[in-house]
Amino acid sequence: MKQPCLITTSRIGDNNINLSTIHPDAIDNIDSSRTSFWLVDMSNPRTGWDTVCKLRSNPYPAIYLRPIVYLMGIDTIPDEIYHAANGHIKGETLSQKTLDSWASRLEPVNLWIEKLEQPDTSKDTNIAFRMLRLTACDDKEIIPTTTTRINSGFVYPLLEPLFSKEDTSVFDTLNFLLEQKLVSNHFVSKSHFCGHCESAFLNFKETCVQCNSEDIQSDEIIHHFKCAYTGKLADFRNRDELTCPKCERTLQHIGVDYDKPSVIFSCNNCTHTFQEPEIQATCFSCGRTSSPENLTHRTIYSYTISAIGKNAAIYGLDSLFTRIMESKLRLTALPVFKEFFAIEASRIQRYQISTSSLTLIHMINMSSIYIRMGHNAKELFEELSVIFRTTLRTCDIITALNESTFFVIMPETAPVHAERAVERLNERITELLGSNLNFTPKITSEIFQIDASIELDKTLEEFQKNHVD
Amino acid sequence: MLIEDILIFLSQLDAMKILTYFWPFFLLDMTRYLFLDFIVILTYIPKRYLHRHKYNNARKRLYKERPLVSILVPGKNEGKHIPALAHSLSQQSYKNFELIIVDDGSDDQTSTICRALEKKGLIDLFIRNDVRGGKASAANTALNFSKGKYIVHIDADSHMAADSIETILLPFYLDENVGAVGGDVRVANSEENFATRLQAIEYMKSLSTGRTVASELGILRIIAGAHGAFRRDILSRIHGWDVGPGLDGDITLKIRKLGFRVIHEPMAVCYTHVPNTFRKLAKQRFRWDRSIVRFRLRKHKDILLPSRNFSIGNFIASAENIFFNIILDIKWWLYITQLIIFSPEVMLIIFIINYVLYLIANIIQFLIASALLHRTFLRKDYVLFLFIPLIPIYTGLYLRLVRTYAYLMEIFHGASYRDKWNPWKVSKIAEKERL
Repeated sequence: MKQPCLITTSRIGDNNINLSTIHPDAIDNIDSSRTSFWLVDMSNPRTGWDTVCKLRSNPYPAIYLRPIVYLMGIDTIPDEIYHAANGHIKGETLSQKTLDSWASRLEPVNLWIEKLEQPDTSKDTNIAFRMLRLTACDDKEIIPTTTTRINSGFVYPLLEPLFSKEDTSVFDTLNFLLEQKLVSNHFVSKSHFCGHCESAFLNFKETCVQCNSEDIQSDEIIHHFKCAYTGKLADFRNRDELTCPKCERTLQHIGVDYDKPSVIFSCNNCTHTFQEPEIQATCFSCGRTSSPENLTHRTIYSYTISAIGKNAAIYGLDSLFTRIMESKLRLTALPVFKEFFAIEASRIQRYQISTSSLTLIHMINMSSIYIRMGHNAKELFEELSVIFRTTLRTCDIITALNESTFFVIMPETAPVHAERAVERLNERITELLGSNLNFTPKITSEIFQIDASIELDKTLEEFQKNHVD
Repeated sequence: MLIEDILIFLSQLDAMKILTYFWPFFLLDMTRYLFLDFIVILTYIPKRYLHRHKYNNARKRLYKERPLVSILVPGKNEGKHIPALAHSLSQQSYKNFELIIVDDGSDDQTSTICRALEKKGLIDLFIRNDVRGGKASAANTALNFSKGKYIVHIDADSHMAADSIETILLPFYLDENVGAVGGDVRVANSEENFATRLQAIEYMKSLSTGRTVASELGILRIIAGAHGAFRRDILSRIHGWDVGPGLDGDITLKIRKLGFRVIHEPMAVCYTHVPNTFRKLAKQRFRWDRSIVRFRLRKHKDILLPSRNFSIGNFIASAENIFFNIILDIKWWLYITQLIIFSPEVMLIIFIINYVLYLIANIIQFLIASALLHRTFLRKDYVLFLFIPLIPIYTGLYLRLVRTYAYLMEIFHGASYRDKWNPWKVSKIAEKERL
């Protein structure tokens, strides 16, 4: 029987409520399969938000996809935080009935999570994939909200906790999902962003075309039909009425005896007169001033998951490198890889005549390439898999943690030879990405001579800790 | 046979008969447009040569002072002409000017073209009026935002000779009582077809020579809108232009009324595009000719009447215009009536002799114009000589018919108040106020 899990730094206890309580630091240790939703204490919104970020950035689907409900305190919270959760409960209305009601409302999300393969133990490390799953599990539209809290001015509350940095990654990743046709978009708004720092907070102002001064004033022009006199409105002002300075007639009705054909600007700094002032935008964030054509124009969309996206969210992205590698190189699943490792280690120990190597490879920044290439990423990854295939041997056993991290057992290969193979791999990948994308990948690796003393799980974990995380 | 009849007819003529049969030519046209022009230009050319040092000194004073000159160009749908105009201005010998263009509610690409030129710095100020207000209001808008000591008004479809601005300013430095100076307007598209060639000859005779003569006689009554320079202080006093059509003649009379001299400067050359079909030309002249009635006979009739501000110069300027243009337009109809009633048997011979007389007069006028303007003549201008035989028909028949129709329509129907040249709302008020 699932039950809500309250995450709080303070002690909220009520014996009448069936609710487990944990500290935010203990999230990693909880058995999330027994949790119906996370009830996040928002009595301190800052701490509460940190908890949400922690939950959503956890790699295990059973944790980061699990619904979040806020337990509201007396403080109001900004919209972009408010909409990041699946719901909220006011502190004073907290009861078993309310919790049960929310648990049943959120049951479809939990059922969806259960469809996934090993949601408690397999990690989702690809940001685009995580985003897709988060969108799919609740099948809700991802709607942007305006905010003054961050420079970009727009946030997708649901996705916000997935990203640690405040940059344009969320836009780029959504764009990637769109190109892959995993989500579809709907127009919400258009906005200008600073070309230097991507801030949406811009002060648009009219300036003098000659000296760029902001100290300009506009005047309406009046044309008196009878005498053809034309001048500024101020020239006609005479107490409460308008009198023509040329023929001294009082102006009666606009359109009948006079009209206002245009507006003219004059600069108080250099006295220049002009009709079309220069529009300039000064960024509140970096202070730079640019003309509108040098600003970044972006259309802001809301997103809904597509049918392909729903399928991909459950079964994985076919175009992901690991999937391509799986088909081209016959990648081995991690548990099977571990079996092979154990066999090889015991074989070496038994006969003492062979030297084999365990090579751990991580390609840094591959996810950014993946996002940058959009639907073309598939072709790139196919080429990468060719490099892997031609550099490694058919007798090598390969597994992939994600599209950037690979573990290889190289039988009958000394570490020094394994190192050469990694160098060749590095050279070829650098050549491919450097010449085609002007991108220099960084490949880190560790090579171990296989023997019975190596604890594979610990070694892999160490490697991930040092290079991947 | 016909030549024989003509020779017999000529041999039978005595002084009395000559006057009876050819009085319009000998009593009026030859006296006014041939002898007078000839005498005045004959004195003007040596006078101008003798005064060349004064002109040089005036030029020196101009360059020493280097006043800002505001060039105003009001217009509607004239965008296609503006780049050529801006280019010709950038070639001017006198550089201290600002170019102000007012787009009077164009519905073509004028705004886009001018904004681009403004960005390039070829136009100093471009004002776009979304609502059309008429040429006078557009010119006044430009005037209001101009800063120059002298104001030069030019048409958008004109371009200037390289020394034009400099030359048109010289009269202000020769005589401080000069209030306005008219530039010499030539035909830019004279080689286009017959219509434009005939107008080119007409402009040489009537505008260049005619206005130089009128200027010398002190009776110049019009500064062409296509090219005219004004003292800013005077334009400010009279608050710019009044509602047109005919606003250029109107403003000239207003300046004369203030007691300032109005001068024509034949060496300040501006080239303008003239109508290229006789239909368009008729429309233009219909508008011009009506304005004589509207402004000379109606608006400025006070010039002809005794008053505290009466000026004999202004009286002659206006009266001469009314007499030779409006009154003497009737003479042709009287003359034709006379011939039909009293000499129907020799009408054809009289017409042929008249044609020859006017042809000779036109040749002499062309030679006078050549003598006056030869310094600024282009090769194509001399070729126009070949088209002079058509001029008596062009001026004697075509323009006369248009003029008579225009006078009648204006006198009896006030047709100018319904002219689409002004926006209807402006015309409505002008008619109501009988402006």
